Amino acid sequence: MQDILFYIFAALTLFFGFLVVVNPFSRNPVTSAMFLVLTIASLAGLFVLLNAFFLAAVQILVYAGAVMVLFLFVIMLMDIKEEERRRFKKFGVAMGLTAVAGLFGIVAKTIAESGVGAGLKPAFEGDTKTLGTALFSSGQFLLPFEIVSILLLVAMVGVILLSKKDLK
Amino acid sequence: MNAALMILEIAVLVLGIALLLLDLWTPPARKRLLGYGAAVALVVVLAYSFKLTGETGFAFGQAYAFDGLALFFKRFFLLAAILVLVMAAEFSDRIASGISEFYSLILFALAGMMFAASANSFPMLFVSLELITVTFYVLTSFQRNRLASLEAGVKYLILGALSSAFLVYGIALVYGASGTMDFAELAGKSAALKDQPLFLLGLLLVLAGLGFKIAAFPFQIWAPDVYQGSPAPATAFLAVGSKAAGFVLLLRLFNTVGLDVTWHWEKLLMVMAAVTILYGNLCAIPQRNLKRLLGYSSIAHAGYLLLGVAAMSPAGSTAVLYYLAGYLFTVLAAFSVLAIIIRKTDIEDVSGLAGLNQRSPLLAATLTLAMVSLAGVPPLAGFFGKFLLLKSVVEQGGSYYAYYWLAAVALAGVVISFWYYFGVIRAIYWSKDPADLSPIEVSLPARICLYACIAGMLFLGLFPNRLVENARAAVLPPPPAKIAEKTAVAVASPASIK
Repeated sequence: MQDILFYIFAALTLFFGFLVVVNPFSRNPVTSAMFLVLTIASLAGLFVLLNAFFLAAVQILVYAGAVMVLFLFVIMLMDIKEEERRRFKKFGVAMGLTAVAGLFGIVAKTIAESGVGAGLKPAFEGDTKTLGTALFSSGQFLLPFEIVSILLLVAMVGVILLSKKDLK
Repeated sequence: MNAALMILEIAVLVLGIALLLLDLWTPPARKRLLGYGAAVALVVVLAYSFKLTGETGFAFGQAYAFDGLALFFKRFFLLAAILVLVMAAEFSDRIASGISEFYSLILFALAGMMFAASANSFPMLFVSLELITVTFYVLTSFQRNRLASLEAGVKYLILGALSSAFLVYGIALVYGASGTMDFAELAGKSAALKDQPLFLLGLLLVLAGLGFKIAAFPFQIWAPDVYQGSPAPATAFLAVGSKAAGFVLLLRLFNTVGLDVTWHWEKLLMVMAAVTILYGNLCAIPQRNLKRLLGYSSIAHAGYLLLGVAAMSPAGSTAVLYYLAGYLFTVLAAFSVLAIIIRKTDIEDVSGLAGLNQRSPLLAATLTLAMVSLAGVPPLAGFFGKFLLLKSVVEQGGSYYAYYWLAAVALAGVVISFWYYFGVIRAIYWSKDPADLSPIEVSLPARICLYACIAGMLFLGLFPNRLVENARAAVLPPPPAKIAEKTAVAVASPASIK
């Protein structure tokens, strides 16, 4: 059952992810953003299958909810007409396809060679309590977690600096 | 928990946050002085770091390692940040928005680099690299009234995000194959993992992610544009700090965790090193913009440094450490001079150097010495660094003949590089009818920094022993069993190749 669900969610993630980047019917960024919501939702399904329940919930709440609203704001503030008119450069498309094909080839060969294994047992159930214990007890994850707070401070200072209207 | 080991990082972070707060009570006219204050505070931190010599230990499980290698690089980053802060203070009137934020961002990037020096698990590696990179997204686009700076920021953002994606994917595959993200545990399992395709692919993608940071071929494409567009102090810190952070992670990861793997990756690293050297040096020849020229030159130097990694011997790692120390003084000297010239004239072209000898003999002499050292002419630091790197490569030649070819390519690269480095020197001293001969004043702190850089270049070139000894003590010696295995493989390999 779990295996089947995994394949369903993985296929959906890939399919929607593909539509975010290359949608044959529409080049409207809003459509892409909407497909990104679906991609994120199917990713949340994959997290549930990995027992990472908290991560799945956060994925929906934060990414599909808050972050996507921001994305839509930004898209609507920008002039998207120009983006729709723009043609792709042939050289760029060719190089991009080559790179993607090469990467895909390496990954496919690796997976084929290593075979589908039983997979790892999850280290712990991903509910909030165990996750909190793992992050905040003095184990190996505490320090990276605290450094992320500095990272967020830097991002905040940077955004304010770069978007401030008047230059002093 | 042994959090006291992190005293240096904590001091830097507190200093960064204090600067953000001090900004509120400092009148605008005096804000640039905060940079000098921060530099002095960092000198104190650097001095304190010498009290920690010889201490080793782990904190947070094994996630944070404090050893000779970490301490060497922490001092390296502190020294670089001190010089960059003074440079930024000199450059402050060209930085339109918030100079004190510029200082504190430099300090936060510094903290990230110092954490990277101690990173001993993949979460630490990733988070510290992200702290460095995200800070540099802001620093590169800081002159947002200049289109070039914004372009640099956007290019760095997109390619940096791509490289982070590679890195995370690689880490996920390594975790999937091994079930651990701890370097110490991975090192124990690496013998069993070395033939597992998923683990190899994961490590390869991590190499790609780190390759972006050090600007090695084929991940070098962002370097010239970003170097050209960013404000000069940000470029200098990017060239020295970000590159060195990539190398310390590369050394720690590939010489401890991936030991069994990397022994078999010598060809990959050799090709990377050779192509990077040739690409950087050949593309630098037609450049007229000084920052862009230094961008290509930094690609070439990433190639030279990879020689030491490709040699896969303690001698190679020692040479990398020594070379980075010389590179620090040389590149920061060059960028300090550029920052002062650009601040005065706003010309980044080589032709802007015309008559520099009459305008300021000190600047002319410093830039000349920096170019000579980058080119690798004795008796400066660059020469001895290249000598050590080539020596470590040639030493390996006995075991695998391709190392001789690698050394030959590197030598060819050095010869090519003379062309454009000496083009800069020619522009300084032998330009015809320079348009502007007004003298350029150099403030006292900047002069101290320039003298420090000159002293560093000469001292490392003339008396290299002390630092080489330090570097040798700092590099992690591979376990003896591995060396025996390596020689066994090496003896077998020439026959099998023929």
